[in-house]
Amino acid sequence: MADQNKTDTAGKLYNEILSPSELFAARSRSHKIPVRGQKDFFPNDSDEQRQRLEQSLNEHWSLVSEERVERLGNLVKGIWIPSDQIVELQSPAGKFWQTMGFSANAKQCLLPEEALYLMECGNLQVFYRDLPLSIQDGYERFLSSKTISLQQYQVFGHLKRLGYVVNRFNPSSEPSPYMRQLNLPQSRDSAGRQLKRKRSTSPTLSSSHTKARESHTERMEEDECSHEGEKKSTQASPETPGVSTATTRSADEGKGRNWWMTDVLPEPGHRSDHSLSSGSSRWDFRSIVFPDLGSREQLSSCLASPDPSLLPEALAVGACDFALWRQRINLRKVNMSSKDWKREEDKLRRGWDVNKDEEVRRCRNWTEYMELMSRREAKRKGRPAHLWNREVTPLHDPREPISTGELLEKISVIKPTNLLEGASRLKGGDEWRICFNVYQADTVADFKKSNPGKPYARMCVCSFDGPVPDLRAIKLLTFQSGDIPVVFAVVDYGDISFYTFKDFQLPLDVFP
Amino acid sequence: MATEGVEKTSEDAPAAGKLCTRYDLEKETELRFEVEAGEAAEQVELELLTGMAEVFGSELNRNKKYTFGPGSKIAVFTWQGCSVNLFGKPEAAYVSKDTPMLLYLNTHAALEQMRKQAERDNERGPRVMVVGPADVGKSTVCRLLLSYAVRVGRRPTLVELDVGQSGVSVPGTVSALCIERPADVEEGFSVQAPLVYHFGSTTPGTNIKLYNKLTSCLAEVFSQRCEVNRKASVGGCIINTCGWVKGSGYQALVHCASAFQVDVVLVLDHERLYNELKRDLPHFVRVVLLPKSGGVVERSKECRRETRDEKIREYFYGFRGVSFYPFSFEVRFSDVRIYKIGAPSIPDSCLPLGMSQDDTQLKLVPVTPGRDLTYHVLSVSSAEDGEEGVRKGIVESPVCGFIVVTNVDTQTQVMKVLSPAPRPLPRHTLLIMDIRFMDMK
Repeated sequence: MADQNKTDTAGKLYNEILSPSELFAARSRSHKIPVRGQKDFFPNDSDEQRQRLEQSLNEHWSLVSEERVERLGNLVKGIWIPSDQIVELQSPAGKFWQTMGFSANAKQCLLPEEALYLMECGNLQVFYRDLPLSIQDGYERFLSSKTISLQQYQVFGHLKRLGYVVNRFNPSSEPSPYMRQLNLPQSRDSAGRQLKRKRSTSPTLSSSHTKARESHTERMEEDECSHEGEKKSTQASPETPGVSTATTRSADEGKGRNWWMTDVLPEPGHRSDHSLSSGSSRWDFRSIVFPDLGSREQLSSCLASPDPSLLPEALAVGACDFALWRQRINLRKVNMSSKDWKREEDKLRRGWDVNKDEEVRRCRNWTEYMELMSRREAKRKGRPAHLWNREVTPLHDPREPISTGELLEKISVIKPTNLLEGASRLKGGDEWRICFNVYQADTVADFKKSNPGKPYARMCVCSFDGPVPDLRAIKLLTFQSGDIPVVFAVVDYGDISFYTFKDFQLPLDVFP
Repeated sequence: MATEGVEKTSEDAPAAGKLCTRYDLEKETELRFEVEAGEAAEQVELELLTGMAEVFGSELNRNKKYTFGPGSKIAVFTWQGCSVNLFGKPEAAYVSKDTPMLLYLNTHAALEQMRKQAERDNERGPRVMVVGPADVGKSTVCRLLLSYAVRVGRRPTLVELDVGQSGVSVPGTVSALCIERPADVEEGFSVQAPLVYHFGSTTPGTNIKLYNKLTSCLAEVFSQRCEVNRKASVGGCIINTCGWVKGSGYQALVHCASAFQVDVVLVLDHERLYNELKRDLPHFVRVVLLPKSGGVVERSKECRRETRDEKIREYFYGFRGVSFYPFSFEVRFSDVRIYKIGAPSIPDSCLPLGMSQDDTQLKLVPVTPGRDLTYHVLSVSSAEDGEEGVRKGIVESPVCGFIVVTNVDTQTQVMKVLSPAPRPLPRHTLLIMDIRFMDMK
């Protein structure tokens, strides 16, 4: 309905020429866009806020509905060609040509978003079927799934208004990572030509097309990657003898250990043999009698008189009444600190006794006992059993000398990773695409469309309603973009925020 | 009961009209007497008249007067009966039938049996550790056993680990001494060429790590000696320990037992300790519980301090302060290096990663000479005077002597020292002790 209305009146409008007084009024109108405070969006159900919102809305409406008055001489004429989804210029392009548009078949063309932006700026009038398109028409016709989305246009327009030079991103124009790795000087000319040719051959940058191209390039990249892999393998091949020796060495080691093990294994047997043959110490305390008041076995209440030959100057002494002394032994309690007490009690409760240990019982003298202890100590010291014998083991064995830096790396829970790590092996997804190359505003003066140089950033457009890009997407996009940062333009209806994910190194406190 | 022939015959004692008391002892009885402590106290003399008697394993000569200074606590034991004369006025003197000497003698007999076996089998002799709480007669039992061993022709070694009341050297040291003759009734064992290590304090608790380290050092040196000296090997050793038998002190005992690889542990009068050691030492170590003698008296802190002081005095001036004449000379600060063993402990949080507190206890901390050095006993380490490398060995190096700082002059950077030998010092590495000695007498 409205469209028809418009087309009906279009001729009139197009030919409308304003009177001087109207022109004057139009010029003196305020062109300011009303400023919105952020809190205006937060509803607090008050009349005051409602009124303010209404006022602000009205202002906007009046601004939008306001007639745009432009000089006819300033307006460039263009024709919308829906089949190619481009706007072909009929009259020579204005100053904008430096940064926008392209030539195809000896004709100057504009991409739909560029045309729409220029329409909004009042620099371009686009005709379709010989009728001028209103800005609203432009929005409706130019923005489609075949060209770019409204959100992408919003970002485009926003950046343009800020003065940036914004181009569509062409994935195929990017040097592949392989080329980057080889440090091939990128032939700008060819890239530029390529750009031109592509535009000319298929000016309709249908998303399906681009996708196909992207996938193609991805395949290429993959091929390159595989090629890389091959290269690597061939590189590694001279080392393979070394590798094999290493493996054989390790095998040898394994064998060595096996030998060692078999060497060790019979040892306990030996030991047990020994212990079987002579299980007691070299002193036979059954014949060497000590007057031990504590022993329960020594029941004889009398101690036989010792062999005089053992005594100085052949003293001859009588038997000794043993039982008498046993009664007199000191049984008084010891004053111990509570800690000592606790430990003692603990020991007692557990019935701890060094001699309950079979291995200790088998030891016949200190040398064997010390060997056993040092063996156990080594076992214990190296790896406390309760820590090392389970599935989860400590991150580091404290006996291993290691620099502080290395240690910190070893015990770090989150491993440092590079954004590009493993990105080349990832398969591309559809949901995230780089849309625009953005060049800085101050380069506009000497900007060349044929040789735009390195973009300042690359834009990826998404919505606040959509998901946050995951690591995979970020990796992919970063990989695709190379050394140029990828900025996520997040559109929240009218507002656009920019986010980037940057690779950074966690600061290291300690230097090894 | 012994018959006390109380003859107050002043003409019998030509010395200075001293009171003379005669004691007739039956067999296996003991005369115990104490000499009053204090400087003004009178000395007590002992004379064996008939029969045979011994004081802590050393036989008495007949008709010879033995003099005992203030603070002495003596027990005269006889196996067969004897009569003695006491001159002077002892603080307490009584005869007791109730002595564990028979048990001690049986212990000696068992040890001698072991030595015989060692001699026969070409093995090492028994290594005995004597443990027990304070004031149970550990040192006396050691002396007794050593004297008996020497009397049957052995050459045992006394290992003195009691840093508080060292029987060999000045307090604050651990030492080993080869015993070649029975202890002198008055002076004790003759101290010739002992092996002494600096510990620095009178209780092992101040630096238990160092204490254990020195124990190991002594054990190693003793083992080396045993390897080259067959007689010393067969003789074995008798280790005297501290009276600290709880907590770390107990751990130190267990450590000592394993360091020396002891064969027999004699526990004096402490059943709990006996049970603990039985539990914590391997089965081939014979742990024996022995009673303490009824004659053992508890010593007060002052008494212990006095004994320590006396021991240092004896080092410089000789027994009873009459045989030696020490030298006094000045030492420039720049000529010596003074160290203290053991850095003050730091909280673990301040330590570098992987460093443990134990490391600081054996560390040498240089001491800047100052006025507070006065009266401190310093050990002269036998470590070579080289610059580096030596510092590592200082802790494990034996001591070649002791000096006492008598005066410090910070102006001229000089200190005056009391030294048993004339100038110059044999070595210039000095280790400071916590122990102080004031040369007052």
